[in-house]
Amino acid sequence: MNFEIFGAWLAVFFTLAIFSFLYRDNSFYKITEHLFVGVSAGYWMSMFFWTQIQPNLYGRLWPSKEYSESGIWYRIYDGLSIFLGSIFPEGGIDKGHDLNLFYLIPLALGVMMLLSLFKSFGWMARWGIAYTVGMAAGLRAYGYLNSNILSQVKATIIPIFDPDLPFFSLLENSHFNNFIIFIGTLTGLLYFYFSKEQKGTFGRITRIGIYFLMISFGASFGFAVMGRISLLIGRFVELITYSSDDYYHASYWVLLVMVILLIYNAYNEKASAE
Amino acid sequence: MDFLINTILKLGKVDRRWIFLIIAFVVLIPLLFPLSLPIRATATTQLVYDAVEKLPHGSKVLLSCEYGPSTKPEIHPMVISFLKHCFRNGHKVYVTCLWPDGQFLADEALDEVANNEFQLTYGIDYVMLGFRPGNEAVVKGIVSDLRKVYTIDSRGTKITEIPMMDGITKFEDFDFLFSGSAGYPGTIEWVQYAVDQTNIPMSTGTTSIQVNEVMPYVQAGQVQGILAGMPGAAEYENLIGSPGIGTSGMDAQSVAHLVIVLFIVLGNLGYFIERNREKKQRGY
Repeated sequence: MNFEIFGAWLAVFFTLAIFSFLYRDNSFYKITEHLFVGVSAGYWMSMFFWTQIQPNLYGRLWPSKEYSESGIWYRIYDGLSIFLGSIFPEGGIDKGHDLNLFYLIPLALGVMMLLSLFKSFGWMARWGIAYTVGMAAGLRAYGYLNSNILSQVKATIIPIFDPDLPFFSLLENSHFNNFIIFIGTLTGLLYFYFSKEQKGTFGRITRIGIYFLMISFGASFGFAVMGRISLLIGRFVELITYSSDDYYHASYWVLLVMVILLIYNAYNEKASAE
Repeated sequence: MDFLINTILKLGKVDRRWIFLIIAFVVLIPLLFPLSLPIRATATTQLVYDAVEKLPHGSKVLLSCEYGPSTKPEIHPMVISFLKHCFRNGHKVYVTCLWPDGQFLADEALDEVANNEFQLTYGIDYVMLGFRPGNEAVVKGIVSDLRKVYTIDSRGTKITEIPMMDGITKFEDFDFLFSGSAGYPGTIEWVQYAVDQTNIPMSTGTTSIQVNEVMPYVQAGQVQGILAGMPGAAEYENLIGSPGIGTSGMDAQSVAHLVIVLFIVLGNLGYFIERNREKKQRGY
């Protein structure tokens, strides 16, 4: 049996095991759920290590282009190389970097974050977290202000009655669509003005804002349904592929065995309850 | 009439597992027996197509893959079609990934399109720069100095040794960006940290769930068009004249939507009938 066929049988088993939750919680589902979490964590960790930490951190601390056997810095490296040869290959790490000892700072912050595993050193993790939070906040502040506030506000400042536009068009710019954008933006924003009680004329205006928000939520719900159905289609397409002769009818066999075992389990549970 | 009302009320109390089963059949049957329903491109899909068509021959296109196996049915067909469109028009494609899982899916797409269909040369016609962790920091890094973020490609080859990387040092050296995005980090981060600051044109393909979130950027002109979920993928496949997974799933999608709408209508009817009965019983 080659690996492709074995992989197909596994994919069928895991897909049907996850679907089996729709019937009720069961062992197949639990096994698959735990495996998924474990495999995902392992995959992410190895990916992060081999794409970032090894080439971009260690690669900058011990680049091969500046390797020297006599230097004390590379003696530490040679020591590490004895135990972890795949991470620290002989002669330094050749990933195109120059030596940059400033990268000892992120290394130290990373180690400090890992120290949160030990109760007495847990406080050290705050430094690493503080750096990450500060960096992310600073980075995002400008991006959000520019793209989400300024550009979006600019996009709503449109001429309602532009002589070049038609009065009505469903998909293109038109007086009618611009008017809808104007009313929707204004009433939607007014709904979030909480310093005045929403009753009387003001209440009627904010009610229009609620309708606009409801339409938006409805569209989101519609898209969410569409997304879920797309994922279901994706799984079904694979199940259909794997039900063919080339894969020894994997989908049919796994489904049959799973249904029999679930019926057997349900029967046993009923019998023991009685 | 009473029979109809009682049936609707009974349907409202049906075990939800029957609904799951009905949806499963409704999705499965059109996949086995296609109906070939017509597919017409929406304005936002047309915008993506036109944006790629407008690029001069040999343009440098950055493709960023931000999706994983769970969102493969929606985004993967878009990425495959986009690659076909780019290679057919003679563009050079540079692939980056903000999601770790995006890398092996992008590899799969490149293998299918660049290697098998177009027989192109790695490093000359396309390059896989790969995944780098750091979310928006990676985007920011690509904008300021790509060579600090990527010193090697996903195969371990030094960037300096890859012919098509000559003259590429930052985001502004690209002519176009397409982001196949299933969430964070993705399209929105590219808009915020790269496109709005450099004015490099960008299009996107997103999961259905993300469409409402990304659409304001499309309407504001920050993003040139959007492929919205599986229908967007199918429309794009139709525009480039190469039907694929997206197109084959559209019959099932349409029929499933009809059935779901029917369930929603019946559920609401049941709710209103019950509410009216309760009102009558209370005498007001």
